[in-house]
Amino acid sequence: MNFRLVFKVTGKTLLVEAFCLLLPLAVTLFYGEDPTPFLYTIAAIFVVGGALSFLPASDHFFAREGFFSVGLIWVLVSAFGALPFFFSGYFPSYVDCFFEAASGFTTTGASILPAVEGLPMGVLFWRSFTHWLGGMGVLILTIALLPSLGSRTLHLMKAESPGPVVSKLVPKTSQSSKILYGIYCALTLIQIICLKLTGMPWFDSVVNSFATAGTGGFSVKNASIGAYGSPAAEIIITIFMLLFSVNFALYFLLLCGKVRQVFQSDEFRFFLFIVAGSILLITLNLWLTGGYYATLGETVRHASFQVGTIISTTGFASTNFDLWPEFSRILLVLLMFVGACAGSTGGALKCSRVLVLLKCVRREVRQVVHPRSVNVVKLDGKVVPEETLRSILLFFFAYMFITAASTLVVALDNFSFGTTLTAVVACIGNIGPGLELVGPMGNYAGFSCLSKIVLSMCMIVGRLELLPILVLFSRNAWKRS
Amino acid sequence: MKIIIVGDGKVGFTLAEHLSREEHDVTVIDTNDDALRRASESLDVLCVKGNGASIMALRESGVDTADIIIAATSLDEVNMVCCLTAKRLGAKYTIARVRNVEYAVELSVLKKELGIDMVINPENATAVEISRLLRFPSAANIETFYRGRVELIGFRVQEDDFICGHSLAELNHRVKELPILFCAAERGDEVIIPDGRYAPQAGDKLYLIGQPIGMSQFFKLLGRYTPKVKDVFIVGGGRIAHYLTAILEGMNMHVKLVERNMDRCRHISEVLPRTMVICGDGTDQELLESESVSASDAFIALTDRDEDNLIISLYAMQMGIGKVIAKSNRQNYAGIARAVGLDSVISPKLITANQILQVVRGMENSKGSVMTALYKIASGNAEAMEFVVNQTTRHLGQPLKDLKLKKGILIAVIIHHNRIVIPEGSSSMSQGDTVIIVSRDQGILDVNDIFDESALDLSSAMGGIG
Repeated sequence: MNFRLVFKVTGKTLLVEAFCLLLPLAVTLFYGEDPTPFLYTIAAIFVVGGALSFLPASDHFFAREGFFSVGLIWVLVSAFGALPFFFSGYFPSYVDCFFEAASGFTTTGASILPAVEGLPMGVLFWRSFTHWLGGMGVLILTIALLPSLGSRTLHLMKAESPGPVVSKLVPKTSQSSKILYGIYCALTLIQIICLKLTGMPWFDSVVNSFATAGTGGFSVKNASIGAYGSPAAEIIITIFMLLFSVNFALYFLLLCGKVRQVFQSDEFRFFLFIVAGSILLITLNLWLTGGYYATLGETVRHASFQVGTIISTTGFASTNFDLWPEFSRILLVLLMFVGACAGSTGGALKCSRVLVLLKCVRREVRQVVHPRSVNVVKLDGKVVPEETLRSILLFFFAYMFITAASTLVVALDNFSFGTTLTAVVACIGNIGPGLELVGPMGNYAGFSCLSKIVLSMCMIVGRLELLPILVLFSRNAWKRS
Repeated sequence: MKIIIVGDGKVGFTLAEHLSREEHDVTVIDTNDDALRRASESLDVLCVKGNGASIMALRESGVDTADIIIAATSLDEVNMVCCLTAKRLGAKYTIARVRNVEYAVELSVLKKELGIDMVINPENATAVEISRLLRFPSAANIETFYRGRVELIGFRVQEDDFICGHSLAELNHRVKELPILFCAAERGDEVIIPDGRYAPQAGDKLYLIGQPIGMSQFFKLLGRYTPKVKDVFIVGGGRIAHYLTAILEGMNMHVKLVERNMDRCRHISEVLPRTMVICGDGTDQELLESESVSASDAFIALTDRDEDNLIISLYAMQMGIGKVIAKSNRQNYAGIARAVGLDSVISPKLITANQILQVVRGMENSKGSVMTALYKIASGNAEAMEFVVNQTTRHLGQPLKDLKLKKGILIAVIIHHNRIVIPEGSSSMSQGDTVIIVSRDQGILDVNDIFDESALDLSSAMGGIG
């Protein structure tokens, strides 16, 4: 393991974080608030990051260095990102701040704050801005800004990007990350303008767009998006949540004019199928049970908002879905496992993995019926290599195993089964709200320190798709040779 | 530039490595998952899986906007179809690797009819390179510039050479008359662009540039002028050996060729009747001894295993053969071989890659001065480049002593109106001249890149004698 290089890359990324902190600092100054929390943080990051990034290091960069540094960077970026919360004094302890920052960067959107409306604007802005940064990836931003990291940056991008396989858009890694960020920025900007047109204040449009773009879910209102009472804003946010949970490579294809290829994507069609099916089922369930919403239109609107918010792993709420009938609640919990498309800003298992798993099951059944038949699993008309299949199956097991193990630890706090399980599922899938105590109108304040740390790690593990963090905790990785 | 490389084998990978490092947008097409994974993990390139001759794979890699497409799969036919298709789909320049001996004679027709702009034959290029070394056995390697009228020769300094231990300033009077220049020296891992203070030591590898006539005079002066090679012993009867033997026969040398495969032996003796073909294992010492290998002037190891080539070459050196050349595609082996005194290690992979790189670099620069040749010397740590100066070049007509060059750069030769000049302080460049520049750093792509606009004096950069 080339530790010096790992630290050097970490240092450079921290410097980028310090640079990003200038924006909330500007917001603080604009609203005439106390800028010291941000100044202290920037100074701290600058000292640590600066020292690390000047380490002399050879550029021997391989897969293990890539995974290791991505794991380390995300833990450190969250740890330093928690400092403004800590210095602001509105949070009970550093563990709470770390939880909040990890929740921000991993675009989970789970909060330990019972009420957010009294916080300073600067802190609120930073909370939502972490979503935006974490959504596309801090490292991808670093790669885009600092091409000097060399040609082997694909290892970094691979470790940070969600999805079973990473496809570059253009030959150069740094160029690819620039295109991704370009699409990301453009979509965010369009959303800000759309929200502003519905009459939302500038500040709220900006932070809500950040939270949507990263599929995060931090809101600046206690009642989340429901607080605005504006159906137009809810519809716009629903649309954009779904847009941000589509593979960004498809937008690149659209820009290149290859529309047909977009609609031929198996994952995209599967995603649309799940979204449409879930909305239909929940609407029927709510409408037939009766007594929830006055008109069919309102029912559809709330059903689609909630489906969108859960499957995109955003975690906003326009209504308290914890009060819905059991069928709808369980369906939403199942959607928490599925998650968004690969290559998007969303989290959880990803549609492509679920689709491949289903195809694997079908293949296995066929194999039993015709033992000598030769079957391959295809996605987008191309054969999925056996190695990728294996890694997807392993990923699924590891995901379930970590969920189960974390649930066991969180169970020590003695909350109900629904609260404990959905808290872990919502954290590892980067969604945010679960059911019951951690439901859309609840929060994570009641958990013990241990649970909060476990849940924070779950978020990072879920965001980085397990491997980088597992590598970080593997004894083999820490050996020099 | 946008470059598509079809075939991610030895040559394809080396090309992708160099081109992506020079900031080109490189796309690699191959059918093999493992090869593609290796490329995508270690290089900054885009990988596309598919058959490079199929329209779908070519479209997917954006052939319509590609500047260059290089077909380097193992099959000549695929390479040709690939270039043909790519050209029809809009690729601007096509390069195909064609190595079948039968196609080699039909090249001009193939190029015209199939829309191939350049044909690369690695085996033939390697054979030409080896034959050049045999013509000048004192040199470890030879590169040529300006249609062969300028040579760059590398040789190892020995203990009893008169230049050993004297600085170039002292040596000045003895070699002043010769039209040559010491342009680079390799000591251990370090590359020195020599100035007057540099004193050659035994074990240094010196690079001389100049006219061929000056070279032979210098080696005579050095007392190392070995007689012409007459008997050549070749082990391995592959394509390179085939091309090489044909060239050597034309040079009136006697070739003894050892090959293991009987059919291959028959084929060679059929095509090249003047060559003595021996069927047997070339790595077998007894066979080599019974064929009196020590009586030959040169020994060339061309089997398909790098390890065998190096080991039998060492054996041949031990037998006291004057000139030993080994083929090795792996660069790290060449380094080890050099450490034990085997200087002439050639790599067909690198020769091919260099040839293609020259074309690419030449095209890239068509806006500025045109680079017409590029060689990597001193284990790839320095470059020798030939440029044609045009009106975009700055400081035309100014004496060199007034120019400020970057560190580690030497203007080695200026060819003015067909006259080859080893430049002095008062020489100058003018439009239409050909200049040869030696640089320690990579990334000189234009004559203007050599000027240091900040500071530093020229005397440190202008060096050598002559």
